[in-house]
Amino acid sequence: MPGPRALDNIRVVDFTWVRAGPWATRWLGAFGAEIIKIEWPENERGRLPSTTTPQHLEVNLNTSGNFNDTNVNKKSLSLNVRTAKGLEIAKRLIAVSDIVIENFSSRVLQKWGLGYAELARIKPDIVYVSMSGYGHTGRNHGYTTFGPIAQAVSGLTYISGLPDKPPAGWGWSYMDDTGGLYGAMCALTGLYHRNITGKGQHIDQAQMVSSVPLNGPVLLDFTVNGRGSRRPGFPPGNRAHWPGTPLTSSYRGPTVAPHNAYRTHPGGYNDWCVIVCQSDEEWQRLVNVMGAPEWAASQKFADNTGRLEHQDELDRLIENWTLTLGKYELTALCQSAGVRALPVQSAEDRVENDPQLRHRQMYLPLEHPALGSRKVQNAPFKLSETPAVNRTASPLIGEHTRSIVEGLLGFSHEDLCAGFADGTFWPTGRPRFAYMEEMLR
Amino acid sequence: MTGFEPPGPLAGLRVLELADEKGQFCGKLLGDLGADVIKIEPPGGEPCRRLGPFLDDIPHPDRSLTFWYYNTSKRGVTLNLETAGGRGLFRQLAMTADIVLETFAPGHLASLGIGQESLRADRPSLIVCSLTPFGQTGPWRDYLSADLLHMAAGGEMASCGYDDADVPGAPPIAPGGGNAWHMGAHFAYMAIMAGLVYRTVSGRGQYIDASIHEACALTTESAIANYIYRGETLIRQTGRHHAASPTPRTQFRSKDGTYVTALVSGRLTPKYVKDLAALFDSYGMAHDLHDPKYRDADTIAANTSHIIDDLVAGFIAGLPAEEIYHAAQARGFTWGAVRAPEQLLDDAHLHDRDFWKEVNHPELGRSFVYPGEAAIYNGSPWRISRRAPLVGEHNAEIFCGELGLSRGELSALAESRVI
Repeated sequence: MPGPRALDNIRVVDFTWVRAGPWATRWLGAFGAEIIKIEWPENERGRLPSTTTPQHLEVNLNTSGNFNDTNVNKKSLSLNVRTAKGLEIAKRLIAVSDIVIENFSSRVLQKWGLGYAELARIKPDIVYVSMSGYGHTGRNHGYTTFGPIAQAVSGLTYISGLPDKPPAGWGWSYMDDTGGLYGAMCALTGLYHRNITGKGQHIDQAQMVSSVPLNGPVLLDFTVNGRGSRRPGFPPGNRAHWPGTPLTSSYRGPTVAPHNAYRTHPGGYNDWCVIVCQSDEEWQRLVNVMGAPEWAASQKFADNTGRLEHQDELDRLIENWTLTLGKYELTALCQSAGVRALPVQSAEDRVENDPQLRHRQMYLPLEHPALGSRKVQNAPFKLSETPAVNRTASPLIGEHTRSIVEGLLGFSHEDLCAGFADGTFWPTGRPRFAYMEEMLR
Repeated sequence: MTGFEPPGPLAGLRVLELADEKGQFCGKLLGDLGADVIKIEPPGGEPCRRLGPFLDDIPHPDRSLTFWYYNTSKRGVTLNLETAGGRGLFRQLAMTADIVLETFAPGHLASLGIGQESLRADRPSLIVCSLTPFGQTGPWRDYLSADLLHMAAGGEMASCGYDDADVPGAPPIAPGGGNAWHMGAHFAYMAIMAGLVYRTVSGRGQYIDASIHEACALTTESAIANYIYRGETLIRQTGRHHAASPTPRTQFRSKDGTYVTALVSGRLTPKYVKDLAALFDSYGMAHDLHDPKYRDADTIAANTSHIIDDLVAGFIAGLPAEEIYHAAQARGFTWGAVRAPEQLLDDAHLHDRDFWKEVNHPELGRSFVYPGEAAIYNGSPWRISRRAPLVGEHNAEIFCGELGLSRGELSALAESRVI
């Protein structure tokens, strides 16, 4: 018999779509909450469009790989909440749930008649988490975001890149990932608070706003010291400081050299490693790992100040050495000597080549009816009493409609069939998947 | 309602934080939401206090702005865990705590006789969270780390960088700001909260082994799925998403020399082009976009490069970034100005949400503006209850006031470097 899970007996009504919201409820599901994902195929925005469907499969609502990874441990109820009947069913579900979570644009749920006041009337201690772009208050609450916009507007994009070049920014929606985590953090915090006080609440999480506290030290350097980040040498790429510019913190840790990315053998697109020496002692260890070359004994590299000043030359000479080694070989050599070094890893590297992630069982397969057995990302923490382990692959759209409508909400089988006939549980005229025909028998 | 502010959602919880740069943000998240976080530092202070930038650029353990930011809403004591006396006081404090958060190398606390098993044996309701670079087990568990190292091995760098046209031969670029520590802290916070919820039901604590490497490896959106389902390795592109093959740019230089992110590519329907034409026309810059030929999707597809590289780029080049941001958003475009963080101080929307907080530093006779909350808890507000502690600031308050030591004993402990 499986052991207890942290969120046993917690039910979540999940109106989320696209990425940030589903990434939030994914973690509530990993902790054992029952996640009921409410979906409607006519305006679905997470399963389609799909750029992660395997080449040999048809792109349809049930074949997105990224959807599968983002929606493990959930159930799917297909329900048209934009009809009066559908909304009534959603309300019956809310009445027996603990958390309502959504990531629509600000105030959409309110317009449906499901604002916090109504939710609390239905279920007085409900924890309601709204995950919008700009939040439910403030003059720009109607603005919309995707990850890249939240990152741009909040300053996250600007502080990543090389000096005197356009911002490199983030190569994905970091704030969909992170906004999702904040959604989950808010839900868990609200749930804890409810369990202690008996009181629910509305938590107004906003993607753009959640980005700003991630720039704390940059902001304090401005509000306290008056130093802005539009200055020569900033951002300094992978370095802690750009040579030839005033020496000051770049908000990534100690201002040291070496602190950079270096090409490794055999020179492919992701054949890079990074090396950081945080003290003269660590530098001497690196010198020894490199075989104590003559150049490294030069007085100009003897202390951190000299290494910072002569970084261009230093980095070039270090790279001459790193190019002779594979990135994993180099990592093992450096780390066994107490030198901070790791490989740049692609997705393939992480899944196939990273011995640590393999040991920690980061990617374990789950069986999916359309996609087959596929590795799914696991949680980055081990809980001793209530392990957060993936149990089920993502649901097919509407897969659990019957068990929720009849089993949980107590409607009759005739009600279910009527709801399919009148377009409440599936659009009339839209072809049904085989498993839907099965549930209507 | 005025005067009364309800407590934060974590009021009543006590956290002992033994954390450096890897875990101090997690302690802040807990403290700002109302937990009583006691930061336990080695005598002389946590080494993170030596990280700049410093107040007025004068280095001092009580003037690190990085330390200030990540240690709000905490009290601070010093304790030498290498001494028996220090361990004894720690154990006494742990028996009053709900959560112990630690970032030492795996096995360190256990080697001192105050590991999680021993603490939990004496206090079964205790939640102990170890947040370390690679977790407590595995071939890399004793490896050294740094933010840059996590950005490399976690996969962030493989997805970030430049188009060859912008920076030929550019390296992968690690995003700035110390986000490896944020990623680890967010997941550790979640695990701690799940443990707390479970404890409200069961009364039982537990041990959490959290890994920053795994947190970072989880934070590259679809990159893992692109590999697992399609075998793809993604390329790096300037200021926009990684991709299996090159995609049109989304970052354009504005008149003031900054940039605008305009998500146009992949969205060019006839309706979108019509809206674009209206936006551009409001500045007299519609050019040929009103041409009826753009009512046809195929014509639009054939002219994508013209629309993006000539018209969108030209429009943005003609106006300041902030003006474009608001004008475009007002018309429903999901566009944004690429701002430097300090520009956020002028953001009216954040002011409407009372985002910025004045934090008093009484020993300096000054107060400073800090960033505020990621989310508004309408029933139990977030707040910065105090500025970061000075070194050992609460030694007397906690060791004498709570654990009952006399002032004489406190002095003796200081002389023998126990505190």
